[in-house]
Amino acid sequence: MILIYDKTFEGFLTLVYDVYYEKLKPNSIFKQKPNKLILEEIKQIQTNEIKATKVLEAIKNKFSKKAFQTILNIFMCDNDDFEVDLLNFIIIGFKDKNELFNINNSSIFYIQNLEKQLFRANHKMSGFLRFEELEDNTLYAKLESRFNLCYFLGKHFYKRLNNQNYIIHDINRKLAFIKDGTSIKVENIASFEEPNLSEDEEKFKRLWNSFFEAVSIESRKNEKLQRDLVPLLYRTYMTEFEN
Amino acid sequence: MRKDIYEKMQILANSAKYDVSCSSSGSENNHKTGELGATHNSSICHTFTADGRCVSLLKVLLTNFCIYDCAYCINRKSNDIKRAAFSPRELADITINFYKRNYIEGLFLSSGIIDNEDHTMVLILRTLKILRYEYHFNGYIHVKLIPGTDDRLIDEVVALANRVSSNIELPSDKSLKLLAPNKTKEKILQPLKHARDKSLENDTKPIGMSTQLIIGATPENDKDILKLSSVLYDKALLKRVYYSAYIPVNDDRNLPAIVNKPPLLREHRLYQADWLLRFYDFSYDEIVSEEFPNLDEELDPKTSWALHNLSYFPMEINKVSKDELLRIPGIGVRGVFKILKARKFKSLDFEDLKKLKISIKRAQYFITCKGKYCAKVSFCSDTIKQAIIEPPKKRVIQPSLFDIDYSAITGEL
Repeated sequence: MILIYDKTFEGFLTLVYDVYYEKLKPNSIFKQKPNKLILEEIKQIQTNEIKATKVLEAIKNKFSKKAFQTILNIFMCDNDDFEVDLLNFIIIGFKDKNELFNINNSSIFYIQNLEKQLFRANHKMSGFLRFEELEDNTLYAKLESRFNLCYFLGKHFYKRLNNQNYIIHDINRKLAFIKDGTSIKVENIASFEEPNLSEDEEKFKRLWNSFFEAVSIESRKNEKLQRDLVPLLYRTYMTEFEN
Repeated sequence: MRKDIYEKMQILANSAKYDVSCSSSGSENNHKTGELGATHNSSICHTFTADGRCVSLLKVLLTNFCIYDCAYCINRKSNDIKRAAFSPRELADITINFYKRNYIEGLFLSSGIIDNEDHTMVLILRTLKILRYEYHFNGYIHVKLIPGTDDRLIDEVVALANRVSSNIELPSDKSLKLLAPNKTKEKILQPLKHARDKSLENDTKPIGMSTQLIIGATPENDKDILKLSSVLYDKALLKRVYYSAYIPVNDDRNLPAIVNKPPLLREHRLYQADWLLRFYDFSYDEIVSEEFPNLDEELDPKTSWALHNLSYFPMEINKVSKDELLRIPGIGVRGVFKILKARKFKSLDFEDLKKLKISIKRAQYFITCKGKYCAKVSFCSDTIKQAIIEPPKKRVIQPSLFDIDYSAITGEL
């Protein structure tokens, strides 16, 4: 059996409810109707707020805070194909929450690994993200990543740039984390114009590049190692790799 | 001639690059509402240089003018090099602007000694005060203490910095006398001791401190070095000792003549051994002895220890204690935790270890799973060593055209 839901968290929670009460056994879960001809039975889940709230409350009560956070994290990282394993994770947790530590179970292992990958990508980006100062002193950073990191990075920089305004813009997902004064929000950005940079921006970029070149030791040069540590994938918006 | 700020940066970053310490870890998160910056408990690398070292801090000298004349140091008085100095204000501004753009975690500030020790320390202190009091910067700051400074200045620095350090540079007094005639071990350790005692007065935890040793410029062996490190760790004086392979930057008759390549492998082995001291509960005399005062370059120190102590092996993955698991070559601290966690639910075999993403490439020679030993070589130290250094090549059968008499089969000539 194939289940289809609408990609939202509420939709997924409704799906959990239906699986539970209608004793469904899905093989795969899709976000939209597949184009190919499929012989299996297909069931469309109708997102339902009451069902979703019930499941959410049940999860909050039954699961540890950490396991609950894991569920949210996995959902937020919007990777492909986590649904079946996350569903299994939740079902196992309802049966016996101690089993959630049993990494011999493939779904639990998958979920834990996915969360680790998410954290790793987030950790890397928290170092590799680069802000530019705009005319009005707002700090602006562009981001491209496999995972949806906007929210996680936004939270990270909330501690660091507490007295600054900043925007973290996920180019591919057309999302942005915006901190303006005391307000913080994640917003959809349909289109945008390249903003104007502050007067000082060029100076500090140049200083940074000059620092970056000066600290490298010629006799220990190892560019392969450098590429392993900062893969090209991450370099798109990094000032020191722009040339 | 007045130097522009880019040239200053070039000179002063270049002069500081030989200091290896760049970690910013181990500070609790300390952000304050309405202020700038916070530290992070685990280190965050912001970029990597062309030689593959992580950059997490703005590592510069306040000035590379110096009244000392240490033979191994690029900034020694007698060297004819370009000199420059940042003003405390300039440096504080750069730090803040780099931090806002997320280039760095914070500042690593060291300095040549200009005029005298106290004067230099006062300049450093001024930079710190601008950052902390004027810009309300809560990010990471690491300060190199100047040996021979007044205790009261050190007190002030300790109160403002997240970490302080002082480089021992050379593992013995004798070598110091030869290469760094203005320094003695006493003089270098004094500010560290004072900083520890001072920070303990206000807090139960001593301020994080580190040091650096240059490897390969003087004749000390690995045993001397590891013994020194282990004493420093035991006295809670230091959190971290860095080892830096000697890179020749000066000609000096007291220095090793020509070194083609810095002893990088030796440096690497020392870091591995240091890791065993800090996280694996090894004592230095288990790793090096009178008989073998130097680390084996062919094998990492843990494997080397295991081969000398084969009587503890092979260990049964499902039975041995945490401390014993930690001693298995190829299995690290994380691997041990994964095994302990998974063991609660079932007894593990080699497939399970693979699933847990624990590499058994090295460990296979030292373990059994459910009583089974799976390495393809006999269990004795010579053959294991051989297998680790030169993994058995898969034999590819490549028949040569001349092996078989084709003509006999096909009838060709």
